[in-house]
Amino acid sequence: MIKLAIYGKGGIGKSTCTSNLSAALASLGKKVIQIGCDPKADSTINLLGGDPVMPVMDYMREYDEEPDSIDKISKTGFGGVLCIETGGPTPGLGCAGRGIITTFSLLEQLELFEKVKPDAVLYDVLGDVVCGGFAAPIREGYAEQVLIVTSGEKMALYAANNIYTAVRNFEDRSYAKVRGVIMNRRNVEDEEQKVRSFADKAGIGIIADIPRSADIIKYEDMGMTCVEGDPECDAAKQFIALAKTLIDEDEKNG
Amino acid sequence: MKNTAKIIPCYSADTSGVCSALYELSGLTVVHDASGCNSTYSTHDEPRWYDMRSNIYISALTEIDAVMGNDEKFISDVSAAAFDRKPEFIAICGSPMPMMTGFDYDNAANEIQSRTGIATFPVYTNGTRSYIDGAADSFVNVLKLFTKPLEKVKNRVNITGLTPLDLPLGSDRLIRKWLAENDLECVCTLAMGSTLEDVKKMSSASATVVMSYSGLAAAEYLYKEYAIPYVCGVPVGDFSDILIKAVKKAAETGECIRSPFERNEDRGTVIIGESIMSLSIASAIGGADIISPLPCDEDMLGINDSTVYSEEDIEAVLGEKKPSVVVADPLYKYIIPESTRLVEIPHFAFSGRCFQKNMKDMITTGLGEYFK
Repeated sequence: MIKLAIYGKGGIGKSTCTSNLSAALASLGKKVIQIGCDPKADSTINLLGGDPVMPVMDYMREYDEEPDSIDKISKTGFGGVLCIETGGPTPGLGCAGRGIITTFSLLEQLELFEKVKPDAVLYDVLGDVVCGGFAAPIREGYAEQVLIVTSGEKMALYAANNIYTAVRNFEDRSYAKVRGVIMNRRNVEDEEQKVRSFADKAGIGIIADIPRSADIIKYEDMGMTCVEGDPECDAAKQFIALAKTLIDEDEKNG
Repeated sequence: MKNTAKIIPCYSADTSGVCSALYELSGLTVVHDASGCNSTYSTHDEPRWYDMRSNIYISALTEIDAVMGNDEKFISDVSAAAFDRKPEFIAICGSPMPMMTGFDYDNAANEIQSRTGIATFPVYTNGTRSYIDGAADSFVNVLKLFTKPLEKVKNRVNITGLTPLDLPLGSDRLIRKWLAENDLECVCTLAMGSTLEDVKKMSSASATVVMSYSGLAAAEYLYKEYAIPYVCGVPVGDFSDILIKAVKKAAETGECIRSPFERNEDRGTVIIGESIMSLSIASAIGGADIISPLPCDEDMLGINDSTVYSEEDIEAVLGEKKPSVVVADPLYKYIIPESTRLVEIPHFAFSGRCFQKNMKDMITTGLGEYFK
């Protein structure tokens, strides 16, 4: 099974990349679960035609009890991707990281993986690995590989390096390992060189090169991924190629 | 804010369940919590504390360690204590603080085991669940670690789910006597009055008697792994005869009897408490409805029974049923209807030591002492 956690600086395009990758994996016949791990709960919205799923934390807040079935906290989106959002506490209150752990425990209790039997699970995680909760997706039993989304912008690369360092700090634990970088271009000067310099220094590869594309914005405005909107556009082709790479690797690893 | 108790106390928490379940098994139990909390788990909730030594440790988590996620301090302190105490196993469990910081119990257990060479397991407590959950998980972990297939011996019986949180001190001796009087030999009373050596022999039994819901998961494990059938029930009063017949039948047929309870329709009496004990008392007195404020198997309960956790829900059920008699811990007297008679049976997991001196032997002398 492909188990990925996608990290990166806030606003860098993690949800866009994750949703497109989920859509690409689904279009290649894979059963995919995407779990948004961000209090904003907007990770899966473009897989759902702009009609969001009720986040787990919202469910608990509204009903004051845990949901007793997966249906209550999930929705099926493009290509059959099962969409789940952890959500979070009321902004300014509580602990968002803890919300992720609570959601994961709940999904385990509801036997999500046993019942859905996915081929791929993608965790779209808010920003940096800032605390225990935001490291939960890379713990044993969850993601096995981390993809870091970055552009050539200085602060995006800074965040990417922080994420890389944080994951490396856990290398003596059975946590996920960094698989590579998704270069999400912002058309910065010498962008490729800057991202490659970071990746080389860290000893990781650039696994996908996503062009700055009006198609992505156009289809997001329509509540969909560009893989759904136009699988032949350049950006979609990159996501589909990345999906193929990951599938091949997974099959090779048995 | 469900489950808020304004008048009655709450039941002992999951962490106390772990400490109680493992108290006599020669392990090292470490609760990841602030210093000073040991008394909560090991004195207020543990009557054996005064007479029997046990390795129950608190990690003395500080605010700054919690904020910084200083797992290394916990791992190295537990490892040092283990080198010093040389326990048979190490159990680590937690409180609300590590829950909030997302402490990784699996990783800590792996690390401690690799440093000490001593089998280490996590119990995922957070101080918000009941003692039943903590004890149940602990029993299963111990069985997984220490039992291996053995040849079955006829007439040998296991007891599971026995801790002072549910049954008075000394109950293990009375249960052994009750079994012996019925030509059955007790292998292990998990986990009051037995040692880890006894636990290792549990796979040789031909049946298991589950004395509280905290012992059901352990019994299910023994059934799944070693085909040892189980029967739920506590041998109280006249129910003892029904239970012993069920135990012998299960041993003979190899089939579990989850609910050997026999109750008449009786809308006049309500029992509030741990489900297996309550069902046993209900069977012993001829019939009663149950209110279970603790985790239980709802399939064991009848149509007139209720699983409710909050004080106001319990009050609502009592208001609806209008029983003439309520059988419950003495501290329930503050929420039962005024005209209702309360038969007080102290429950250590609910009122602690407050009424310990009033706890009576229900196993050999029946329930007359409580009901007179």
